[in-house]
Amino acid sequence: MIRNHALEIITLIAILAFISIFLVVSAGGTHAFSGSDDVGSQKVAELTGVSVDSIKPLIPQYVPPSPEIESTLFALQAAAGGIVLGLVFGYWLGQRKTAPGYLCLIT
Amino acid sequence: MHIMEGFLPWQWCLLWWIIAMPFVILGTFELRAMIRKDREYMPLLGVCGAFIFILSALKLPSVTGSCSHPTGTGLSTMCFGVFITSVVGGIVLLFQALLLAHGGLSTLGANMVSMAIGGPLAGYAIYRLLKNTPVNIYITVFLVTAVADLVTYIITSMELALAYPAQDGGVLASFVAFFVIFAITQIPLAIVEGCVLALVFKYIVQMKPEILEKLNVFSPERIEKARLAQESSEKL
Repeated sequence: MIRNHALEIITLIAILAFISIFLVVSAGGTHAFSGSDDVGSQKVAELTGVSVDSIKPLIPQYVPPSPEIESTLFALQAAAGGIVLGLVFGYWLGQRKTAPGYLCLIT
Repeated sequence: MHIMEGFLPWQWCLLWWIIAMPFVILGTFELRAMIRKDREYMPLLGVCGAFIFILSALKLPSVTGSCSHPTGTGLSTMCFGVFITSVVGGIVLLFQALLLAHGGLSTLGANMVSMAIGGPLAGYAIYRLLKNTPVNIYITVFLVTAVADLVTYIITSMELALAYPAQDGGVLASFVAFFVIFAITQIPLAIVEGCVLALVFKYIVQMKPEILEKLNVFSPERIEKARLAQESSEKL
C-alpha cells in the first residue's frame, strides 16, 4: 500500500513542507510577498539609477486596470488549463473502461 | 520570470527575438507535421500544454519573501521535445503579455528564450543523459522538470545582468544580484513542481502507456515495467 502510493506521499510531503516554509517566513511579518518580477524590476531601476515608474514601455500594452481584473484573467488562464486536463484524463479513463483491468485506475 | 515591458533596451530585445524565432518556427512546423501524422498525440499535447497554463498562472510565495511561479515545461519537453515546447510556452507568454501586462511584446523574445527555450533545453539535456540509464523514470521526470524550471530563472537573471551590468563588479555582480532575486526564490517551487509532474507522469503511464511508447519517451520495456510494477503491487 505504502509502496504503491510512494509518489503521492512524497508529493504530499513536498507540498506540506512548502506550506510550512511559507508559514515560517510569513510569521516574521517583514515580507511583502510581492512578485519576483517586480523585485527584479526594482533591481533594474536601482542599477540604472532611475525610478521604476519612469521606465516606459517600448511597445504600448494593455494593463489590467485593477488587481481584481488581473486575478480574473489569471484564474481564466488556470481554468482553461484545468478544463483541458480534466477532459483528456476523462477521455483516457473512458477509453480504458472498455479494456480489461480498468479497475486498477480507480483504486 | 517575466522581464517587464520596457525593462530591456531595444538592442537586447531584438537579439533575444532573433534567437527565439528559429525555435518557434521549427516548432510550428514540427507541430503541424505531428498532428497530421497521428491525431492520437493531441490529448497528450493538451495535457502538457495544460500544465504550462495552470502552473504558470500560480504565483506561489517562497523563502525569500517574494512570489514566483513554476513553469511546467518539463513534461512537454520530454514528450515532444524543445521545439514544440517553445511554441506552447510562447503561447502562454503571449497571453500574459497581451492581457496581463506580465512581460511585454518587446521583452517576449527574452522571456521565450528563458521559459520556453532555455529551460526546456536544459531539461532535455538531463532527459537525454538519463533516458537509457537505470535511473528510475519518475526520478528522471522530477529532475528534468525541476532543472527546466530552475534554469528558466537562471537565464532570466543572465539576460538582465547582460543588459544591466553593475557599475561595481560588472555583469557577474549584477548576475548574482538577480540570481538571488529569481533563482533562490525558485528552488522550493522547482522541487514541488518536479514532484507534481512526476506524479502526473505516473498517471499517464497507467492510463496511456502506448502513447509514451509511440513517442519513445522511454523505451517500451521500461514503460511496461513501470506500469506492471504498479499493477502487481495493487493486486497484493
